[in-house]
Amino acid sequence: MNDNDELNDSAMLCAVRDSISGLPMPTAPRLDTITARGRARQRRRVGAVSIAGAGACAAALVVGLAAGGGPARLAPQGRSSVPQRHAPVVHLAAFSVVADPDGGTTLTLNSGQVINPSAVRQALAEHGIPALVTANEFCRTADQPAPGVGTVVSLGSPHGSGGIVIYGSKIPSGVKLSIGYRQDSQDGEVSFTLIQAGAPLTCASIPDSGPHGGD
Amino acid sequence: MSHENTEFAEFFEASWEPCLRAVVASTGSVQLAEDQVAEAFARAWLSWRKVRRHPAPRAWVVRTALNAGASWWRRHRRELPLGGHDAAAPRDVDDGFDAALLTALRHLPDRQREVIALRVFLDLDTDTIAGQLGIAPATVRVHLSRAVTALRHELSLSQAMEVD
Repeated sequence: MNDNDELNDSAMLCAVRDSISGLPMPTAPRLDTITARGRARQRRRVGAVSIAGAGACAAALVVGLAAGGGPARLAPQGRSSVPQRHAPVVHLAAFSVVADPDGGTTLTLNSGQVINPSAVRQALAEHGIPALVTANEFCRTADQPAPGVGTVVSLGSPHGSGGIVIYGSKIPSGVKLSIGYRQDSQDGEVSFTLIQAGAPLTCASIPDSGPHGGD
Repeated sequence: MSHENTEFAEFFEASWEPCLRAVVASTGSVQLAEDQVAEAFARAWLSWRKVRRHPAPRAWVVRTALNAGASWWRRHRRELPLGGHDAAAPRDVDDGFDAALLTALRHLPDRQREVIALRVFLDLDTDTIAGQLGIAPATVRVHLSRAVTALRHELSLSQAMEVD
């Protein structure tokens, strides 16, 4: 590139700058609208969700599958009535269910894959986890059974970063864990809530994070 | 307000407009750019401890905004039967803007538009742009040169059509 080329390029870039600079821009939004938007995003993101912040009384937890197509790991401790070491190991492209040495179970959901909710539910059931698993809808019952999903589900799989641990043994009798996930979401959104088995369900296309849901 | 919050507020106030102009240059739509930049600032607020140490925080915001809009843009570009025209592209700038230049900008590949945005509106030098984009400085110069050549070509075609 010679000097003339650079001068010509500079002139063109100045023309671009002048043209855009002449365009009136909307004023900046209020700072609190930006921070509110950030908080809303935080609620949807797995990395930003703190189980401790959500608290034991949270009605629902909304997290994401690990970004970039990676997995979200759910590592529940099985219900005491089920011998975890005998539970079958399932390894599929879409998800996997593996019994942990400590008696827990790790469920891995892979974003970017078509996940069969019935297969996930069945695999969890074989590990003693009573669950309602739904794709692209998020279901709950009117009553939020004790002890709260924050007691049953927590971030931090023993198998690696970004994992989610489910304490299946803390799910009371007559209660199920409702797991809803968005099949085609870039964020791989997943919601967890406890529901009363057999009670009427209310399902929606977006998760209800509840009054303490992850903020 | 904590020190970090004050710092972010100052950054936001000073950087909103240049970042918005940079993204408008890429998207051609003030409305779309406004949403993307707001999203990028929201993410910057969430990651402020990281972003504040970034060598060019405004570049971080612009890149984040452009990435946030990339999927939207690709999705709609596939959906719209443009037939080689740009009539349905997300354009909402008024007559004060050089429409031909805008069209020419939109015809550039993503990376070239990104380089233009960082150079022209954030005044970043070649080495800094290279660092932001993870490419060699020579590659930045090539993108810039090709972008300018393409803009010049598009504008000359546009002027020729007006004469006809």
